[in-house]
Amino acid sequence: MEWLNRLMALDRRWIFLLVAIGTALPIIFPIGFKVSVTPPAKALFDRIEQMGPDDVVLLSFDYGPSTAPENDPMADAVLRHCFSKRVKVVLLSLFPIGGVTMADQSLARVLRDFPDIRRGIDYAHLGYKSGSQATMKQMGEDIHRVFPTDRYGMALSEVPLLQRVRTYDDMKLVVSFATGIIGEWWANLINAQFHIPVAVGCTAVSAPKYYAYLQSGQMVGLLGGLKGASEYERLVIDRYPIVEAAYTRAGLYTAIKGMDAQTIIHTLILLFIIMANVAFFAGRGRAAQAKR
Amino acid sequence: METMGFLGPARGGRRDQARAAPVPSDRDVAGLTLKTAEAMQMETMGFLNPDRLNALVLFLFFCTLVLVFISLARRGGRLYIRKIAGLNAIDEAVGRATELGKKVLYPPGIMSLDENQTIASLAVLGHVARMTARYNTELDVPNKDPLTFAAARETVKEAYMAEGRPDLYNDRLVHYVTYDQFAYTASVTGIMVREKPAANFLIGSFYAESLLLAEMGQSTGAIQIAGTAEIAQLPFFVCSCDYTLIGEELYAAGAYLSREPAQLGSIKGQDITKAAVGVYIITATILLLLGSGFLRRLLTIE
Amino acid sequence: MRFLRLQLPLLLTALAGLIPISAFFISENATRVVWMKDRLEKYMIIIASFAILLGVVNVVQSNIRKIERRQKGWPYGAFLLAGLLGMAFCGIMGAARIGPFQGIGYTPDGGRTPFQYGAEFMFSPLQATMFSLLAFFMASAAFRAFRARNVEATILLVAAGLVMLGRIPFGEMILGGHPFLARLTDWMMDWPNAAAQRGIMIGAALGAASLSLRVIVGIERSFLGVEKSE
Repeated sequence: MEWLNRLMALDRRWIFLLVAIGTALPIIFPIGFKVSVTPPAKALFDRIEQMGPDDVVLLSFDYGPSTAPENDPMADAVLRHCFSKRVKVVLLSLFPIGGVTMADQSLARVLRDFPDIRRGIDYAHLGYKSGSQATMKQMGEDIHRVFPTDRYGMALSEVPLLQRVRTYDDMKLVVSFATGIIGEWWANLINAQFHIPVAVGCTAVSAPKYYAYLQSGQMVGLLGGLKGASEYERLVIDRYPIVEAAYTRAGLYTAIKGMDAQTIIHTLILLFIIMANVAFFAGRGRAAQAKR
Repeated sequence: METMGFLGPARGGRRDQARAAPVPSDRDVAGLTLKTAEAMQMETMGFLNPDRLNALVLFLFFCTLVLVFISLARRGGRLYIRKIAGLNAIDEAVGRATELGKKVLYPPGIMSLDENQTIASLAVLGHVARMTARYNTELDVPNKDPLTFAAARETVKEAYMAEGRPDLYNDRLVHYVTYDQFAYTASVTGIMVREKPAANFLIGSFYAESLLLAEMGQSTGAIQIAGTAEIAQLPFFVCSCDYTLIGEELYAAGAYLSREPAQLGSIKGQDITKAAVGVYIITATILLLLGSGFLRRLLTIE
Repeated sequence: MRFLRLQLPLLLTALAGLIPISAFFISENATRVVWMKDRLEKYMIIIASFAILLGVVNVVQSNIRKIERRQKGWPYGAFLLAGLLGMAFCGIMGAARIGPFQGIGYTPDGGRTPFQYGAEFMFSPLQATMFSLLAFFMASAAFRAFRARNVEATILLVAAGLVMLGRIPFGEMILGGHPFLARLTDWMMDWPNAAAQRGIMIGAALGAASLSLRVIVGIERSFLGVEKSE
């Protein structure tokens, strides 16, 4: 049973090679697995669906380039949803390294499909502010004091949309696309203090801890990792077929396309686990036999 | 609106009351004054925020318990604290590094000094540094945050002085790497692969880099002791490290290692509070099932 | 000396800890306390920003020393310094808007400033690469750690397997399109997972509160680097 010993002591580089192939192939040759929607993503979708052109949503880009593959698709999907419904959007970033670039890039990608969306009227971009918790709390008192100018250097008092948005009371929802702790601060500090509904789009690694906040009502929706992003994309495409053209554009990375790779990798990992346990139990059986 | 006393208006919340009965605002367009219902109500509130009275009571209860047990411990009361395997293994880990002639690697987390986990990590670092000074083992403390770097340097220097080995201390033991999370991870994993430390202490606040560090350390054959209160990262440490301090075990580490009565007393007070919270939750749940939300409303904080 | 090294820092620590705590319980009528709390928060931001200089100085010093003495790995030190100085130069010149360095983001015509170019085409891909290593390490950790050695390890293994299957369309496919695994995964996340997370959160929060109290009253002094007997 030499193969057993080899399997137990398998060099991890073989595993890395198989993972690399398993990730690359579905991206080059898309499979198109069906995406099913779960309640946390549906809850956020329904919340925004109920809004109208007079409502304002705050989108906080609290992630950097490292988690862009997970957070970018969810940010794009929510932004597309808001623009499809003509819900007004205020963007900002609290993540110090690369957060505002992520916001800029997301906006640039989505605005290509919505040429009639006007800056300052349909959306406003506040840019980046350091201070995290302190900034978030001060925004509850007066956003204009925290951000004297917007991302493009214009005084907030001159931005039409922001003339009627001064605190969280003037907004209907905060959606934080987060990696790390900033999403938690929105859920357990800002929601508790200012009573504004909060939803978080987070990496898959952080998703388990957000279920406690979702269950207790501190959050109204959750997009957990690439799966959550793909669910939201599915909901937006099904409800607004006009955006489907954007999602089938060649070269655009979307969560639905990424789910092919995630499916293959998860299946591979499960196979590795099964193989390892087969070898483990076979080895134990052999050892027990040898003892007898 | 009537003037309120020390505690301010009754339950209902300042914010809720302002929302429920909006008064047309009296905005001075040319000037800077703004008077809304909310501002008028604030003028008549007392000194304490009545919406947080319950939190204040809980806070005072907790502080009293902790301070009482600290006082008891200082007067010579014996306090039992259960064994924590990860902390008992510190001696073994440093000993292994000494025998193999290799270094001890101690990244103290990636957050700054305003994070409690970093302070807890520095307490353990002081203990580890005393051991490395005692046994003349090389210590390497790479830092991501500049404030943590400054504090870690002082902690290690003090530990070496306290052991009577100032000759073994040099500033290169504790060094700053970079502020970026993944550049820091690349640097630390590079140290692990090139220099193959015999013992890794991954104690403090870690995020996505936790698995990278733990797996890389595991692949080099080092003994690894991890500790964090970041719930999302605990599974990675549990899978890849030999010992893991979970949540409050990390915060108790300083007290556990120093065995100082005052610190042990605070652990006791904290444990009693946790037991009280547990009893409260069970009681509130039972009452809720019986149709009474009284206990649940009692601790709702506005 | 003892006052500067021990007593003053402890006093500042106590004040910095007590002011935000008091501000939480005091109404906004106590404007002085609220003002102090707001000031403290601003000071924190400023101190943290200046502290980065401390780190940069240390990085430059240690790498210059490494290069001078041709210690092992000195070319990496040279590469690091080149990157640090290059990006710092682009950033400072861009902030001052000197010559071709007009800002640190995108130019009005949509082009990229040198700083933005470095951030977008060097820094971002490197960050994404490091993060993507997690996929490989996750697989190797799963292969090594998810073995049914005992009861707890078996529960971990089964739970992980169910959640992994429930999170991918394959889980529905193997059950003929029935969303049972997805629902089971959601149930596991909503109930056992949330319960465990809450338990650890409550314990950790109390531990952190206890540590904070020890720091505020001056019992915990590890962050000051002073001996406990002082």
